[in-house]
Amino acid sequence: MTAEAEPSADTASPAASAEGAVAHADAASDFPSIELSGIVQEYPTPDGKTLRVLDGVDLTLDRPGITMLLGPSGCGKSTLLRMMGGVRPTGVQTPTKGTVRIGGKPCDGPHEDAVMVFQRYANRPDLSIHENVALPFRFSMWKKRVPRSEVKTRVRDILAAVGLGDKHDLRPAQLSGGQNQRVALARALVLRPRILLMDEPFGALDAQTREEMQLLLGKLLVENPCVVVFVTHDVSEALVLGDRVLVLSASPAKIVDDIALDEPRPRSTAWLMSSAIVDVKDRVLERLHESRTHGQVRLSF
Amino acid sequence: MWNPYQQLSGTQRRLLGFGSLGVVLLAWGLLTGLGVVRPARLPAPWAVGSAFLRLAWDPEKGESPLLDHTLMSLTRIVVAGVLVVVIGLPIGILMGASPRINAVLSPLVDPFRSAPVVSLLPILVIWLGIGETMKVAFLFLGAVVFLIPMVRDAIVSVPEAHWISARDLGATPWETIWHAVVPIAKPRIADAITVSVSIMWTYITVAEYVNAQVGLGALIQNARRFSAMDQVLVGIAVIIALALVTHAAMRALKKRLYPWEVEV
Repeated sequence: MTAEAEPSADTASPAASAEGAVAHADAASDFPSIELSGIVQEYPTPDGKTLRVLDGVDLTLDRPGITMLLGPSGCGKSTLLRMMGGVRPTGVQTPTKGTVRIGGKPCDGPHEDAVMVFQRYANRPDLSIHENVALPFRFSMWKKRVPRSEVKTRVRDILAAVGLGDKHDLRPAQLSGGQNQRVALARALVLRPRILLMDEPFGALDAQTREEMQLLLGKLLVENPCVVVFVTHDVSEALVLGDRVLVLSASPAKIVDDIALDEPRPRSTAWLMSSAIVDVKDRVLERLHESRTHGQVRLSF
Repeated sequence: MWNPYQQLSGTQRRLLGFGSLGVVLLAWGLLTGLGVVRPARLPAPWAVGSAFLRLAWDPEKGESPLLDHTLMSLTRIVVAGVLVVVIGLPIGILMGASPRINAVLSPLVDPFRSAPVVSLLPILVIWLGIGETMKVAFLFLGAVVFLIPMVRDAIVSVPEAHWISARDLGATPWETIWHAVVPIAKPRIADAITVSVSIMWTYITVAEYVNAQVGLGALIQNARRFSAMDQVLVGIAVIIALALVTHAAMRALKKRLYPWEVEV
């Protein structure tokens, strides 16, 4: 059995990764935990009412590996991810109820251990690729921590790792969408984060580029293990990448399933087409169906 | 013909542009040459050309009155332009960066975009007299009320993704504005400065109407008093030419400084 089904959605199950996978259980103590407890999020609507987006989410992530937040579009998974990254919308109390703790400390703003990668890669068009990746080192927080002499080496190494070693002097407009997303990924990884939060980073890419990026991410995390939370509405992507898949219901979102996958990455087509995984896929779709999903879920096998 | 996305070659554009100018010049020459319009109302193109030459070089005095007028107007515009940028740019950036500051300053700035700034001239005369300070202040006011909202809009139009990304990467709010927002807004800020300079050229004649001895506005005003319509047209033509040259130079400079400008 390569996929473990957890019966209770409220009990966070540790991702049991096999050899070669990213997770290193013995090194878990080196990584800060993410603890979400009783998270409720409500937003005011234009007609004066409140819209509940998240409804009592409890979650603990305490070891390296990829945790996929899978749910229909608009269900609140990005809200949950941004909460972990400390990105708060202005004028709205976030979260409405509950607590977010990183490494045991309350998280109420951008956290030095957590770096986010978004679907919109936000590369500065006036800077070269090298300068874009080195951009965080212009900020006082990173200036203090990383000596200037080290910046160049770090940027060179990470650009080589994401396959852009020969593109240092180009500008973002001279790269494809996939390459621009690699730049954004490199800019996050160059900080050597212990938590990497990815908000549908490959959502805007074509199928082939998305697959390349999934492979690249798997490879990079073997070299630089960290706690990854990856938001997607693509069931296939969740199964290709995740050590653990958390299924969220439609808004107001709750965790309705928690699935551990112990197959090492990269995962073969045979594994993805195996009856156990097809069953997992059916189960995920059933969970989403049960929660009366109105948003979009992608299935691209 | 009716395709807004059709790309014209440089030659086509030049031919069509100079062609339309040629048609106007030809009609002007015919109307004045055939005596349809009296020279006192509209002098012939060649009479304007002749006036240009007389103003360009006065052999008796051994000087160029037109150059003196032009340099004086240019100086006033440069001084006012520097003030517009030094004062207007930070205010526009602050308004764009902070909705609170924008809420405070917007009612003081935005209405002046549609207000007749010329009507402020008498007030400026009372407050500042009729010297250089008044002229520069008038040019400054006329342009800064356009520059500030345009700079603010340039800042606000930078996609929020840049702000969120930089903040998440550990930048303070000011570092985010400085390193992630302002650099992307720079091409639009450059456009705002170009427009402001063009506006100052349109106001120069008004600024120099009051007590100016030297300056293109003064040249036009004095020529009008003596019904020297040919010199009035020379003054107008020089202002248009200078406005076009500065506009083209600033566009070229922008292209050189921000070659990366793409949709962001």
